[in-house]
Amino acid sequence: MSLPVLHIEHLSKSFGGVRALNDLHFTVREKEIFSIIGPNGAGKSTIFNCINGLYSPENGKIILQGQDITGKSPNVIAGKGIARTFQNLELFKYMSTIDNLLLGRHMLMKSSIFHILALSVKRSAAAREEIKHRRKVEEIIDFLELQPYRDYPVFALSYGKQKLVELGRALAMEPKILLLDEPAAGLNNEERQDMIFWIQDIRDQMDISIVIIEHNMQMVKDISDRVLALNFGKKITEGSPQEVLANQEVIRAYLGDDLKDE
Amino acid sequence: MIAQILINAVVAGSIYALMALAMVIIYKASEIPNFAQGEMAMISTYITFVMLQVYGFSFYPALLVTILFAFILGFLFEFAVIRRAKDPNLLGYIIITLGFQMVLFGLAGWKWGSDQRTFSLPFSSSSVIFRTDQYAITEHNMASIIIAILVMAGLYILLKYTRLGLAMKAIQQNKNAARFNGIPADRIMGFSFGISAIVGAVAGILVAPVSTLDPTMMWDPLLKGFAAAVLGGMKSLPGAIIGGLLLGLIENLFGYYISLEFKAVVAFAIIILVLFVKPSGLLGKHYTKKV
Amino acid sequence: MKLKKHYFEDIQLFPNKASIFWSLVAILFLAFLPGLVKTYYLSIVNLMALNILVALGLNLLVGNTGQISLGHAGFVAIGAYAAALMLKAGLPFIIVLLGAGTVAAMVGAILGIPSFRLEGPYLAIATLSFGMAVTIIIGRIDILGGRMGMSVPRIDLSWTGLKYDIALYYVFALITVIMIIFTRNILKSRIGRAFQAIRDSDVAASVVGILLAKYKTFSFAISAFYAGMAGCLWALYLQFVNPGSFNFMMSILFLATIVLGGLGSVTGSVMGAIVMTWLSLQLEKIVEIPFFGEVFVTFTGYFMNPSGIANITWVATGLILIAVIIFEPMGLNGLWLRTKRYWKLWPF
Repeated sequence: MSLPVLHIEHLSKSFGGVRALNDLHFTVREKEIFSIIGPNGAGKSTIFNCINGLYSPENGKIILQGQDITGKSPNVIAGKGIARTFQNLELFKYMSTIDNLLLGRHMLMKSSIFHILALSVKRSAAAREEIKHRRKVEEIIDFLELQPYRDYPVFALSYGKQKLVELGRALAMEPKILLLDEPAAGLNNEERQDMIFWIQDIRDQMDISIVIIEHNMQMVKDISDRVLALNFGKKITEGSPQEVLANQEVIRAYLGDDLKDE
Repeated sequence: MIAQILINAVVAGSIYALMALAMVIIYKASEIPNFAQGEMAMISTYITFVMLQVYGFSFYPALLVTILFAFILGFLFEFAVIRRAKDPNLLGYIIITLGFQMVLFGLAGWKWGSDQRTFSLPFSSSSVIFRTDQYAITEHNMASIIIAILVMAGLYILLKYTRLGLAMKAIQQNKNAARFNGIPADRIMGFSFGISAIVGAVAGILVAPVSTLDPTMMWDPLLKGFAAAVLGGMKSLPGAIIGGLLLGLIENLFGYYISLEFKAVVAFAIIILVLFVKPSGLLGKHYTKKV
Repeated sequence: MKLKKHYFEDIQLFPNKASIFWSLVAILFLAFLPGLVKTYYLSIVNLMALNILVALGLNLLVGNTGQISLGHAGFVAIGAYAAALMLKAGLPFIIVLLGAGTVAAMVGAILGIPSFRLEGPYLAIATLSFGMAVTIIIGRIDILGGRMGMSVPRIDLSWTGLKYDIALYYVFALITVIMIIFTRNILKSRIGRAFQAIRDSDVAASVVGILLAKYKTFSFAISAFYAGMAGCLWALYLQFVNPGSFNFMMSILFLATIVLGGLGSVTGSVMGAIVMTWLSLQLEKIVEIPFFGEVFVTFTGYFMNPSGIANITWVATGLILIAVIIFEPMGLNGLWLRTKRYWKLWPF
């Protein structure tokens, strides 16, 4: 069994008396795709917000590779190697695709303001660093097939492409863990297939553990190594996709209505 | 001496409270900080001046004309300028109000020149109506407090007991929902601007006799009004009144006990301090964005 | 479509041959201008130069970082007074210039620290009151000349062998060109991208590792640095500083400059500053314009006050601000980009 990368224990968070997360624990292992499912309002996004520091949990610990990162601020946690995407897209709307991706490399670049003043000189330290990181970003652009949109401001792109830009930005950070909040929501069938393919590729080629929040059960079944089911901020069960999706309580809480629809 | 300081504090505070109220009425309705507030009040004050001095009106008819003018000015500002902008962001709104402020400032200077005029009202700031060896109350002091209370009471009744007030409250809470329920949100917004302009105009008329009547007369009260509004939380009407009075008190105490020279800087210090310690103000609520 | 061959192409100063050509033309024009026009026009160009400096800095803050400053005249004042004191002490010019910028930047950082928590209207109010407070405080300090202001000595430019006015023009032009290039470099770098990221989404910015407090404060400091440098040039330009000139309206005019030029664009800052300076000079002598000037004077005679005719500048600037937001939020730069695109496709 591979090593644990992210370890969560006793995680609790409430908003004005409403328990969003209740004594939650789970572990994400190396090179694993770990899915979190649960009905709307089950607290899935809250987990992500706690992990990457947008919320500070009331209780519990978040441990990344043996290091306690609970309650650290988002920029510190980003530096430790956690990247994420958002359910409703948080892009830099008026910046180009390549600039969005380059922002993912902000923490990896070190030039100070004094170096930067000489950026237009090709041999300057700032220019060399910039070129080095642009090369990396172009690789991601190639990987996600974003070349045609490279110089367009992202607000002008389709929803599906915007989702890819956000994924690309997270990848540019060279994270250890990637948190994807509903990566396939709002995509059409073809785009969803591509997304599944890319997520699997990221795991295989880049040695990244991936945590996914997803509503599409087919997709969860297709790509997950393990699944965590959640309701009212509490864990229902955890295990392989087959086990979890067959669990009576999960079906009652969540899948019941969904299966009838399909 | 402390009695005199208190009197001065309450008088100044009432005027700041009026400016703050004018600000808050608009900010609550539209989340626009109206930087044209001061100049709208200044122009309205000039109208009173013209009515009194040029056309020989007596005070109350002149006041009536001014109120009418201020309302139309505020309404037109919303209708002809603010509403024409296609969905600007906050910066856009701030720039529009600044632009309008410049237009009014320029028009006033063009029409009346930049010379300072004296402005006399039926209540003079030199005739004392009550005096002990500790303090003196002038007609202007008395009138300022009474008029400010009247305006506040009027606002309270308007917002609490009339259909217009109810509609204003509705669009403050949710403009679209109000619109779906048949409230003419745009028109109500125009009314909010008009009412705010009236409150500002009253403040202008009270400021003019103690400072002078010139196009820059409202710069300082504008800042003080903002400080008071920030102190009260930007969205709370009682907060604006408390903020205004508190600012008047702090400023006058500072002026007497510490430094009269730097009295004018107090408002700045208060703004920075309040924003640093409690950005939502004394009576405000703070909201965070959900992701 | 032309393919890019090297990663440097995205960050180099001149993306194509045309830009090299036009930059050369501009440099040559600036170099030979003193031989072509009277000294009076050089002083106009100097005024444009210092407005460009303020606009570049303010646009970094407002257009790129999405913060608001209604008190930039305060930073210019601080730079001008710092420069005046240092020039009186006889320090060399380059130290005075950088020193004025640094002093302003330090004040900017101090103001930025409480301000990084503030949003929109609150920041506008805080900076507005800052700008007003600066002039009040300066006006009360006796060693700074109080409300009367103080005179500023000339710098020594005799080593250039040129007339003082012409040498000063070259100093202004050189500083401005260098600062334009620096600004562009900042915007193409990780720091410039961080600024724009904060503008577009502070949540996403913090998630990619940008420390919001640091960069917001930094943006204030850099912006104030430009304003401080411009203040130094202002002191040299007028050879006199007094607190009254750095008032609330000056701050708003700076904001008007970048709004007119185009928020978030270096070209916009430059165009805005040039047009705005030119416009206010034209408006000052509106009476001399044939026909329109006469109509204007007659109108003023009937309805307005002839002594207040200079106030037309405010009316016009205010109308421009409103019109830009309503009709062309991208300002002159947006207009320019659209025209360029149109001609590229012409005649199809």
